[in-house]
Amino acid sequence: MISYHAIESTMYEAMRRAAVTLPPDVEAALHRAMAEETDPLAREHLHVSLENTRLAMAGQGLVCGDTGFPLYFVTAGSRTQVEGGFATLWKAAQSATARVTDDSFLRPTMVDPLSRANPGHNVGPGMPKVELTFSGDGDGLEILAAPKGGGSEIFGTFYRMLFPADGEAGIFKFVLESIQAACYAGKICPPAIVGVGIGGSADLCMRMAKEAAVLRPVGQPHPDPRVAEMEHKLLQATRRMGIGPMGSRGINAVLGLHIEIALTHTAALPVAVNAQCLVGRRWMASIAADGAATYRGDLS
Amino acid sequence: MSDAIRHLQLPLSAEEARSLTLGDRVTVSGPIFTGRSRFHIRAIEQNIVPPLDFQAINCFFHVGPVMRRQDERWEIVSIEPTSSIRFDRYSGDVIRKLRLRTLIGKTTMGPAAAEALREVGGVYLTKIGVCGNQLRPQVKKVHGVYFLEELGKTEATWVFEVEQFGPFFVAMDAHGNNYFQQLSADVASRMGAIYRDLGIPDDYGWTNVDATRKPGDPA
Repeated sequence: MISYHAIESTMYEAMRRAAVTLPPDVEAALHRAMAEETDPLAREHLHVSLENTRLAMAGQGLVCGDTGFPLYFVTAGSRTQVEGGFATLWKAAQSATARVTDDSFLRPTMVDPLSRANPGHNVGPGMPKVELTFSGDGDGLEILAAPKGGGSEIFGTFYRMLFPADGEAGIFKFVLESIQAACYAGKICPPAIVGVGIGGSADLCMRMAKEAAVLRPVGQPHPDPRVAEMEHKLLQATRRMGIGPMGSRGINAVLGLHIEIALTHTAALPVAVNAQCLVGRRWMASIAADGAATYRGDLS
Repeated sequence: MSDAIRHLQLPLSAEEARSLTLGDRVTVSGPIFTGRSRFHIRAIEQNIVPPLDFQAINCFFHVGPVMRRQDERWEIVSIEPTSSIRFDRYSGDVIRKLRLRTLIGKTTMGPAAAEALREVGGVYLTKIGVCGNQLRPQVKKVHGVYFLEELGKTEATWVFEVEQFGPFFVAMDAHGNNYFQQLSADVASRMGAIYRDLGIPDDYGWTNVDATRKPGDPA
């Protein structure tokens, strides 16, 4: 039985680490991008960004001042038992998010969409967002905390219902048009990690795009070779656009392009795009059945 | 574009603003004030602006800083410029209303803002990389905060004294030019070949299911 206290404190610590640490795969990808860029401004954008994260990791600030939407992705096993039942995951996430905000690791950014009133601690209807899935027969919990920046979410979200006759050409055109618009003047803070959902219902399609952008190690190809080939073709196409870091002249508009697919209606071809910004903040925690927590930035 | 960084003193004169070129690297020193969406909406729709001498405090920094209250004093945790293009509905009117000659943010602003900057003699500076922790020690003093109760820490207007704040680069000059306009046209000119190599013809259109369209309407 995993205690409420263990879950709440682990959610706090995973979110705090995500706000002040650059994940190792993202850092490696940014260094690869910097080695490729030749335009001085493109290189400067990356150099400054890496220096900024170095300061954050040294306790002098945050990886980015927009700590965005507080998201938790939780995976439980079939034998996992949680004190008070699984519903307490939401209560723990609210408490942890309020505490991380009070300690100034998250900015109070979540507001009422109509009155625009700010509760001051990022907690209210729907937020923080907890996505719970079950996988395997384990007895622990995996908790990924992602403070997802506004730029990538606000300017990097696209959905279109295509039709079977639109085929691969239609998918490619939609994804590339989306990336072109999203990268203009650095709106999504490129080089971005771009998630694409193909198929499913509308909500599943967007969820696949989001999870492809946030949860997959940067550049890891999809296990289905048909999908991996599409990922490769699209990424190569983005490198010819002439858009670099923060919308400058360059090669790296995109660090990684990840596609997820699901069955869909025989009449439909839904496609969704969701981007993650260049700092790709996320941190993973594992809680064992006895409540012991371990943390890691490497998701592979 | 010059590699040397120009160090500008605030408030910037219209003459100095007009001497700046797209791509110039600059820092600014002097008083600045902050705001985001709520500032813009309230300034134009409700005529509510903080009681500041905008000719003395003339540099508008688009940001929602992360602030911490420490021993009765405000301390900055991080101060990352936010996307200025979001304020497009109001940017031009705010620039004219407050006679702004320096704006700092992320991304760019639209044609109405470009025209307002040309009229007033002002420039728009945009950030280089993710830079909020490097900007933080360049803020030498928190002069004050306005509308904190109503708007919260993120949307409130903060007044700071900054020293060699930056560097930023000139993304819109005082003559109506925008750094990203030419760049965007260059990108657009490459897309045709990229699409063709993926087997997408120039006249490709997605299936149009708008039953009300007339024959001959574009797909």
